[in-house]
Amino acid sequence: MLAYVIRRVLIMIPMAVAISFLVYVGLDATPGDAVSFMLSPEQMSGANPERLEELREALGLNQPLFVRYFIWLGGLLQGNFGYTLTGGVPISDLLARRLPATLELAAVALVLSTVFGSILGIISALRRGTATDNTLTVVGMVGVSIPEFFFGLVAITVFALNLGWLPVGGRSMPQYVTFWDRLPHLVMPALVLSIMMTAGVMRYARAAMLDALNKDFIKTARSKGLPEWRVNLLHGFRVALTPVVVLIGFRLPALIGGSVIVEQVFQWPGVGSLFVLSVRNQDYPVVMAIALISVVTVLVVSVVIDVLTAIIDPRVRLGN
Amino acid sequence: MALADIPRRRTRFDRRFDRIRALEEAGRLKHPTGSRLVRKFMSNRLAVIGLVVFSIILLAAIFAPLLTPWDPTKINLRAMLQPPSWEHWFGTDKTGRDVFARVLYGGRISILVGLGSAVVSAIIGVIIGCYAGYVGGWFDAVCMRISEIIMAFPELILVLMLVSILGQSLSNIMIIFILGGWCGIYRLARASMLSLREEEYVQALRSFGLSVPLICFKHILPNALGPIMVNITLSTAAFILAEAGLSFLGLGVPMNIATWGNILNVAQDLGVLQNNWWIWLPVGTTISLFVLSVNFIGDGLRDATDPTQQG
Repeated sequence: MLAYVIRRVLIMIPMAVAISFLVYVGLDATPGDAVSFMLSPEQMSGANPERLEELREALGLNQPLFVRYFIWLGGLLQGNFGYTLTGGVPISDLLARRLPATLELAAVALVLSTVFGSILGIISALRRGTATDNTLTVVGMVGVSIPEFFFGLVAITVFALNLGWLPVGGRSMPQYVTFWDRLPHLVMPALVLSIMMTAGVMRYARAAMLDALNKDFIKTARSKGLPEWRVNLLHGFRVALTPVVVLIGFRLPALIGGSVIVEQVFQWPGVGSLFVLSVRNQDYPVVMAIALISVVTVLVVSVVIDVLTAIIDPRVRLGN
Repeated sequence: MALADIPRRRTRFDRRFDRIRALEEAGRLKHPTGSRLVRKFMSNRLAVIGLVVFSIILLAAIFAPLLTPWDPTKINLRAMLQPPSWEHWFGTDKTGRDVFARVLYGGRISILVGLGSAVVSAIIGVIIGCYAGYVGGWFDAVCMRISEIIMAFPELILVLMLVSILGQSLSNIMIIFILGGWCGIYRLARASMLSLREEEYVQALRSFGLSVPLICFKHILPNALGPIMVNITLSTAAFILAEAGLSFLGLGVPMNIATWGNILNVAQDLGVLQNNWWIWLPVGTTISLFVLSVNFIGDGLRDATDPTQQG
């Protein structure tokens, strides 16, 4: 088991290094001086050309690309992402302020889509071939076909502007302290973000459940005379659940991409809207930092998921 | 001595077989309604509905000048924000441009971006995938690493990052989509190459001395075409959604070109959202319908081309 974990991690590290190198090359190729984002505004202000040259030398920015890359990587590992081009704020502070909002939104959407998706998928599988199943399949297809932002716009128009039940967007007022105060703001973005994923989970859960129901032990359970709900839920569902939970890892890229758009629609002050803002302002250091963080998150989660699968299913680790 | 040459009594099976052979030679055994694939696809109601909706929207976009007298870019300050009427079917936007004309002409660009990027990335992916999968070696290893790196990025993050580096233009958007899109089909083509290249008929072809490209593209590729076609339809849907999302953020195709996403961009304004529903609701519905129809077609193709589901 340990050998398997080590092997998976060792495969991941060169990938992460290669990606961070590419991101750095991109950053290096973009217009703008590399000094400006490595230095804080205090260091920048009042610096004459000679002083800047000294700083370049001191930071190693006159070195070849490879050396500069490692200097940058060393900074990253210590949590130093440099400073934004617009405003000179430390990028790590900016991220630390924005990240909780994104995590809150993503976590709620992940839970909602997992719960709804597996329930609907299992209903669909148990009623295979009936009108319910066909309707759910079509509804799922509609769910993945409507752009998330269009869903968001319709939701804002109906529930915020016309009915006035929920706030239009934003995250919190100064007087809001607890999660419950923020809840009305969270409802729409979280639901909209989870719709597309719910459809995906539903499809997957349906297939997994059908697969599980075809296994021999289900026939055994049924022939023992167990009631149908016990066969379905305690025997079938438990087996079907594993691939559904593992699917969380595959949903992560969609979740990150979706949250960029949903945060923008609902003015949710998270990393996604920061990303859009930075792309608009051509604030390359921030763009690259966020891109790198999201890729590394995806890589790490995929390793964790692989390891979890190996723990659950011994065939995976012994097969290698 | 071949089996047929052994003298034996003719049975009723021989007679039946002769009848079948006669029918086949007369060309009457073919199904009257065409190939199995077409028949299976046509018996799938949703796929047919998808094909009809797809064709209607596509034709409406292609023949836009016949359907509307308005110019999608012509600003008319006397006709700002008019609600739908006989003159302007979908009303007019903030600068008096006819929304119906913008939806039709915008469809041209959006469909071009979606379908064009999907087809080009499929061609690139298939060529690299077939060759790399059949030959293997260092070329395959390099392509595999590159595709792994590209696929590690969440799609939207990669696209936005490249937009920020390359800048916004119609061709840049398509290049970026293709750059991110060839990997999926590459892997698909490569996987079917790997499984098919050990088949006996391929070994036979190899022993005849056929060249590698001929074996790859003429004899193996047709057998792997089903999943590839499905993938092209699904990535068309994904690219149209991505273009709409990007343009909605104002980071896609430049604003002076009408696309479905660009029309929706104004809906970020709450006033427009509440008071001028005709600007954003019809175009949003059109995008959704189009993507839905493409998804239905893809699903129908998947069922029709899946050899494990004969029928």
